[in-house]
Amino acid sequence: MMKKIISTISIVCLLLTSCEFDKGFEELNVNPTKASQLDVNNKFASVFLRTSGGRYENWRASLIYSSTIVQHISSTATYWTGNFYTRNNDYATSLFDRAYPEQVKEIEDILYQLNEEGNTGTAMGVARIWRVFIYHRLTDLYGDIPYSEAGKGFIENILKPKYDAQKDIYADMLAELEAATGQLGADTLGNSDLIFQGDVGKWKKFANSMMLRLAMRLTKVDPAAAQSWATKAINAGTMTSNDDICFIQHTAGPEGVNKNGHGEVFTADGNPRLAKTFVNFLKDDPRLPILGARRSDGSTNPEDLIGLPSGLTTGALEEKYGTVSDDYAEPNRKVITGEDTPMVFQTFAEVAFLKAEAAVRGWITGNAKEHYEEGVKAAMQMLSMLYPNAAAISDEEVAAYLSAKPYQEDKAMQMIHEQYWAATFLNEYEAFANWRRTGYPELEPFGGEGVYNGNVTQGTIPRRMIYPNSESSTNPESFAEAIARQGPNEFTTRVWWDK
Amino acid sequence: MNLQNKKIIFFFFLSLFIYVVQAQIVTGNVTDENGIPLPGATVLVQGTNQGVSSDFDGNYSIEVSQGQSLEFSFVGYSSQIIQVGAASQINVQLLPDNKLEEVVVTALGIKRNTKAVGYSVTQVEGDEINTVKSTNAINALQGKIAGVQISGNATGAKGSTRVIIRGNSSLSGNNQPLYVVDGITINNSNLGSAGLWGGADAGDGISALNPDEVQSVSVLKGGAAAALYGSRASNGVILITTKSGIGSEGLGVELSSSIQFDDIKNDPYDPQTRYGQGRDYSTNSDNIDTYANWGIPLNGSSVEQWDGVARPYTYKGNNLNKFYETGRTFINTIALSNATDRSNMRLSFTNLQNSDIIPNSTLERNTLGLNANQEFGDFTATVNLKYINDDSVGAPRLSDSPGNANFGIRLFAPSIDVNDMLGAGGLGTNEDGTEFRTSDNTFSQNPWFAAYQFFDNSVKERFIGSAQIRWDITDYLYLTGRLGTDRFDYDRTSGTPYGTAYQPLGSMSEYKLTNIQSDGDLFLGTDNLTLIENISLTAFAGVGKNYQNSESVSANGGNFIVPFLYTVKNTENQSSGYGFSERKINSAYGSAELGYKNALFLTFTARNDWFSTLSLPNKTAPNNDLYTSASLSLVLSDLIIMPEAISFLKLRGGYSQVAGGANDPYALNLSYGIYGQGHQGASLGNISNGSIPNPNITPFEKNETEVGFDLRVLNNRASIDFTYYSNETNGDIVGVSASRTSGYSSALENLGVISNKGIELLLNVRPLEHNDFSWDFTFNYSNNTSKIVSTNDAGTNITLDEPRSRNLNVTHIVGEQYGALYGTSYNRDAQGRIIHDIDPDGTPIPQVGDRKILGFGVSPISIGFTNSFRYKNYNLSFLIEGKSGGQIYSGTNALAKYFGAHKATIDADGRENGFTVSGVDANGTPFNTTIAPDRIEDYWRQTYGIAEEAIYDSNYLRIRQFSIGYQFPSELLYGSFIQNASLSLIGRNLFFLHNSVENVDPESGYNVNNSQGLEWFGLPVPRSVGLNVNLKF
Repeated sequence: MMKKIISTISIVCLLLTSCEFDKGFEELNVNPTKASQLDVNNKFASVFLRTSGGRYENWRASLIYSSTIVQHISSTATYWTGNFYTRNNDYATSLFDRAYPEQVKEIEDILYQLNEEGNTGTAMGVARIWRVFIYHRLTDLYGDIPYSEAGKGFIENILKPKYDAQKDIYADMLAELEAATGQLGADTLGNSDLIFQGDVGKWKKFANSMMLRLAMRLTKVDPAAAQSWATKAINAGTMTSNDDICFIQHTAGPEGVNKNGHGEVFTADGNPRLAKTFVNFLKDDPRLPILGARRSDGSTNPEDLIGLPSGLTTGALEEKYGTVSDDYAEPNRKVITGEDTPMVFQTFAEVAFLKAEAAVRGWITGNAKEHYEEGVKAAMQMLSMLYPNAAAISDEEVAAYLSAKPYQEDKAMQMIHEQYWAATFLNEYEAFANWRRTGYPELEPFGGEGVYNGNVTQGTIPRRMIYPNSESSTNPESFAEAIARQGPNEFTTRVWWDK
Repeated sequence: MNLQNKKIIFFFFLSLFIYVVQAQIVTGNVTDENGIPLPGATVLVQGTNQGVSSDFDGNYSIEVSQGQSLEFSFVGYSSQIIQVGAASQINVQLLPDNKLEEVVVTALGIKRNTKAVGYSVTQVEGDEINTVKSTNAINALQGKIAGVQISGNATGAKGSTRVIIRGNSSLSGNNQPLYVVDGITINNSNLGSAGLWGGADAGDGISALNPDEVQSVSVLKGGAAAALYGSRASNGVILITTKSGIGSEGLGVELSSSIQFDDIKNDPYDPQTRYGQGRDYSTNSDNIDTYANWGIPLNGSSVEQWDGVARPYTYKGNNLNKFYETGRTFINTIALSNATDRSNMRLSFTNLQNSDIIPNSTLERNTLGLNANQEFGDFTATVNLKYINDDSVGAPRLSDSPGNANFGIRLFAPSIDVNDMLGAGGLGTNEDGTEFRTSDNTFSQNPWFAAYQFFDNSVKERFIGSAQIRWDITDYLYLTGRLGTDRFDYDRTSGTPYGTAYQPLGSMSEYKLTNIQSDGDLFLGTDNLTLIENISLTAFAGVGKNYQNSESVSANGGNFIVPFLYTVKNTENQSSGYGFSERKINSAYGSAELGYKNALFLTFTARNDWFSTLSLPNKTAPNNDLYTSASLSLVLSDLIIMPEAISFLKLRGGYSQVAGGANDPYALNLSYGIYGQGHQGASLGNISNGSIPNPNITPFEKNETEVGFDLRVLNNRASIDFTYYSNETNGDIVGVSASRTSGYSSALENLGVISNKGIELLLNVRPLEHNDFSWDFTFNYSNNTSKIVSTNDAGTNITLDEPRSRNLNVTHIVGEQYGALYGTSYNRDAQGRIIHDIDPDGTPIPQVGDRKILGFGVSPISIGFTNSFRYKNYNLSFLIEGKSGGQIYSGTNALAKYFGAHKATIDADGRENGFTVSGVDANGTPFNTTIAPDRIEDYWRQTYGIAEEAIYDSNYLRIRQFSIGYQFPSELLYGSFIQNASLSLIGRNLFFLHNSVENVDPESGYNVNNSQGLEWFGLPVPRSVGLNVNLKF
C-alpha cells in the first residue's frame, strides 16, 4: 500500500513539474481563417467599392441631406431631414462615420504596404490619387477634418488624429495629385482596377481632372492658387471624352458590397421624388424622361412629370396644392435606380464646364461657349452609356436643345453651373460643393415654398454637414480646436473655401 | 507535499494496517438530511478515543467490537449513537441541530462545513428555484443572495439574464460568473442579442438549466473562493449540483407539474388618450404617420386613416391589451431514482412548453438527465449526463423599429386600433401577402406583420456530460480524475419576409454553430488528516486543462425569387460565412487548509494558468499568471466562553488574487481576410481587426480582500452574517476608445483599473415559533460602490453601447462609477435654467447642450426581503425585491414624448390652450411662454435629441415571488401508494410597491452586455401566476 501511495504521489508530482504547460499554444493562437498580409491588388478592389459606399451613408449624407439641399430630390416624409433643414445627427454625420473606418483605414493601409514594399510605380500613384479623392469629399462636406494623422491607428498608433485646417488639406491634396501623376507608369493594377480597368492613361487624366476640380474650389478664397492649379491641371491633360468618366460599375449582388448604395436606397425607400426645382430646369430637356417617371403609374411622358415642391409635408402639400406625393415624378426606376447601376465619381461633362469657367475667367485660352456646349452634350450622351436602359440622346437632340437655350455670355457662370448641377445628379456630394462655391443654381430656401417650422438653420440653406458628437468624447482636444477654428458645429457654418 | 507530510501519512497508514489485522470492521455511509454525503463526519467508538472521519463521499470504515457503540457527529448536526450489532454495515443520516448551520459546496465540488470557510459563500437549496419557476431558472434567485445582482430584462421568455457578483470587475470584458454544473464548467455565452440597430435575444447557456433537477446552488462570491477555478472564475462562481439518487429507498418516482400564466397587467405604460392622430393640432398627418399623437381632441368625427378608411376620431382602447396574449408555461417532470448500498442513480425527464405574451413566439424544451454513482472497491465512479433540446419559434425583435412589433404598439395614436391592421391577407398582410403598411417609415413595421411574418427560429441541442473516478488510496488520501464536456449544436433560421416595406424582396439566413468546451482535472488530496494533535490538514493539488472550440457556418440569401418560399437557394444573392476559434487554458493548482481544534482554519490556494490566447511567437510579456489566496476562519464561540445569548460567532477574512480577461483568441496581431465573393473578377480583401491589436497583452489581475462575521444569537433564532469586501482589477484588457478617424473603434491595452467596495448583509430571524405556527424572515442587503480608477495613460473615456437615438453612450469615465450614462443635456445657464432658441413666432425650442454624466446604469443597492409563514400544513411565502441608486435611459419615453403619446406633452388644462414653458432665451432673458397648440410638437421633437429628458431613476420595489402551499399530511396519504404530495399557488412579479420610471418596467434592458441602463421598446415584463403539484411515490 505504501508503494501505491508513493507511486501515485510520484506520478502526480511528475505531472505537476514536467508538463510544458503552454506547449503548442503559439500555433493554436494563429487564426486559420486569416492571412498576415494580402496582395495589395485585393485591397485596391475593396477600397474602390468602399469609396462608392454602402446604403447607409448614400441614403443619409448623400440623398437625405445633399440631394435635397441642392433640390435635386424632394420628399414629403419628414425623415428626409435635408428637405426641411431639420437636424438628424446620424444622417448628417454618416459619411464621416463610415468613411474613416472603411475608406480611410483601407487606403492608408495600402499606402503603408506599398511604402514598405518600396513601390514607387503605378500602384503608389493610384493609391495617392484615390486617397485624395476620399479626403476631398470629406473635407468638402465637413470642413476641417483629420487628414495627416487619420487612419493610422495601427500603423502609427495614433488614436486621436488631429483635425487639419481645410486650407492645409487642400494644399496637400493638390500637391499629392501632382506627385502621384508622376508615379503612374507602365505597370497596372490588373483586374483589381475596378475604375479604369488598367488604363493608366485614364488615371492620369482623372488625376488632372481632380486637380482642376480642387483648384476651382478655391476661386472664392484664393483665386490666385485656383488659377495656378487649374491651368496646371488643364495643361497636364484632363478628361477628353465620356470614355474617361471616373465611375465604378456595380452589380445587383451577390452581396451588399457589390451593389450601388443609391440603388439599395431606392429599393428600400419609395419616398424620394424629383424636386420641383430640378424638373422645372429639365423642361424641354431630353434628359427628363430618362431621369424621371411619375410615381403613380411610371409614366415618362414629359407632360406627366411634375417635380415635388421642397420643404412640404404631406399635410402641407395637400393644403397648398391639393395633391399627394404619388402625383409627382420620382427617379426613374426603370433606368437609373438599379442596384447594378454605376456610381459616378467625376465626369467629362463636369471637366468641360470647369474649363468653360476657366475660359470665362480668362485663365485659359479657348472658347467658353465651346466648352459649355461640349459639356452639355457629354452630360446628355453619357446617360445611355452609364444606364443601359436609357434612350440614347442624339447629336440632333443636343443641338436642338442648345439652340433653344443658347449660351449667353452675360449669364455664363449661371448657365455653366446650372448645367454642372444637372450633370451631377446622383453625384450629390459634388453637386452640393459646387453649388456652395458658385451659388448656382440660385436656390431659394425650401424651394420658395415657405419656411418649415422646426428647421435648425434659421430658414437658410445648409452650408455643411455636422461632425459626430462622439468626437467630443473620443478626440476632445483636436475636436475643440477644429470648432474654435472653423466655427460652431452647425449646418450653417461655412467651410474655409466657402467663406 | 513535503517529506514531513509523507512521514505522517506513512505513520497513519501503518497504524491503520496494524489495526486492520486485529479487528472486525464496520463500514457505512454518513449523509445529511437530504441524503447528501457528509465528508469529515466523526465516527467515534464511544468511551474511547478511537475514531475515524468519513471520507469525501461520506463513507467510513471503523474497527469496533460487537456491543460497543458508535457515536456519529458532525458540526451543526445532532450526534447519533448506535449500538453495534451483528450488521457489518451501518448507514447513518444526521439531522441538523439547527437549520442555520450549513454545509456548503465549495470549489471543485468539495463539500465543507461553513465553519471552515474563510470567505462568504451562499448556498440556496433547490426548492428556492423550483417552487416559483422561471423559463430561465437563474431568474428565480433574484433578490435571494446578497451581493449577487440578477438583472431581468425585456427580451421575452426565451431571453438571457445578466448575473453580476460583487460588482463589475472588467471594463469591457465578460463580467458574468462561471457556471459549474456537477463539476463541469459550462458555456454561458449569449448567442445573439439586440443592439442599437435591433435584433433578438437568442438566449444564453444557463437558461438551459432545468429547475426541477437542481439540488442546490452554491455561490462563491469572492476571489478566495473562486481562485481554484482560475481565470474564468474572476467574476465569481455559481456551482450547481443536480439531484442524485442518494437517499432514495428502493425505487422512487417523483412527479412534478406546474402551469403558469403570464400577462401584461403589471406593465406601467400609461399614454395620453385625449388627442388623436394628426400633426400641427389638426387631423392631418404625413402620409400614414400613425404614431403622430399631435391631433385635436378626440371628437368622434369621421377621419380618414392610414388605410384610406374613414373611422370615428375616438379613443380605440388599449392597443397593448389587444395585441399581447396570455403567455402559458407548462413544466412537467418525471424522475426515477434508486439507491443501494454501493450505488445510486437518478433519471429524470422534463418537458417545458412556453408560449410568450407576444404572438407567435414559443419555446419547447426537453431535458433528460442521468446521474449515477457506483463504488467498486476503493474506486467510486460518478457519471452525470444531460441532454437538452431547445426548440424556439419566433424570437421577438427588440430595440430599433425594423421588425419590432413592440415599437408601434406603444406609439400608435389613441384614435388608431391595432385590430384594424390585420389587413386583407390577414396577420398584417395585404391580399398579395406583402406588408400591410401602417407607418410612413418603411423601417417601422405593422406589429402583426412583425410578429407573424418575420421569422427567427432555432433549435439548440446540448449535451453536458461528466465522468469522475475517485480512488481512495487510503482513508486519508484520494486521487480524483474528472473529464467533462459541454457541447451544443445551434441551428438558427431567421429572415425578413418577402414583401417587407424596407426590403421588398426579403432576405434570410441559416446559421449553424457548434461549440465545445472540455475540461479535464486530476488531483490528489487528503481529507481532515490529523497532522499533530489539534492540527488537521485538508489539501489537494492537481492539474487542469480547459479547451474551447467554436465553429460556425452560415448561408445567407437576399431577394427571394419565388415569393414566400423561404430557403436560401431561392434567393438572387447568396453568400456564405465561416467562423472558427479555438483556445486552451492549462493550469496547475493546489490548496491546503490547516485546522486548529476544529475552530481555527487557515486556507492557502495557488494556481497558475497558461493562456493560448496570450501566446505569440517572440512575445516577451508573459502568457501565464500565478495567483494565490489566503483566508482565515475563526470560530470564536468554540474557543472562548461566550455570553449565553450568543450561540455561534465566527470571524473570517481573506485575501486573494485571480487572473482573467484573456478571452479572445487571435487578438494579438493584425490580420487580413478575403471577404464577399469578389467583384467583376477582382477579389476583395482588407484588415479584419476593428480594434487596434496589441501583441503585449497580459492577463489582468483582480485582488480582493474580504472580512466578515457570522453571529447567531438566542439559540439560533436570529442570525446576522456580514461581509465587507474590496476588490481591484488591475491591467484590465480594455479597448481604449479611439476616434473613429483613426480607422479603428478602439485599441487593446492592459490599462484598465476598476475597484469595487461593498457590504453584504444577511439577516435571518424566526420571530415566532410554535408547533403549529412559525414565521421566518430573511432580509438581505448589498451595496456595491464601483469606481473606474484608470482607463489608459491619457484617461480617455471607454465608450460602450448607445441607444438608437444616438445621443448617449454608456461610458466608463475615470473617477466615476461603472457605466455612466453619458449623453446630451439641456443647455442651462449658471442658475440652471434651460436656455431656448426663440422661433420668429415666439415658440421656444430648448438648446441641445453638451454631453454630461446623466446617471449610472448599474444600481448599487439591492435588497431582498422574504417572509415565510407556516401554519400546520399550510405555508405562505413572499419575496419583496428591489434595487436603487441607478438610472435608466428610456427610449420608449423619449419617443413617446417625440410623438406626443406621453402625458408630459399635455398641460394640466390640455393642449387646447397651448403648452406653457419657462426658461431663458439665448440672451439670458427669462420668459414664461405658452406655445400655440400647433407648435407644441416642435418643442417636444427637439427634446428627443436631449438624452437628459429620458433619464429616470431605476429604483423599484416589487413583489417578486409569492407562494401559498399545502403539504398533504402523511396521515392522509398513509396506506396509499403516494408518499408525499404538495400543492402550491405561485406568483411572480405580482405588482410594484414602487417604480420610479414612467411608462416602462425598470428592468427593461434589451441585452445583457456591459452597457446596462438602456431601454428601447422591449417586451412588457410579464406578471405570472400559476399552480405547482409535486407527488412522490
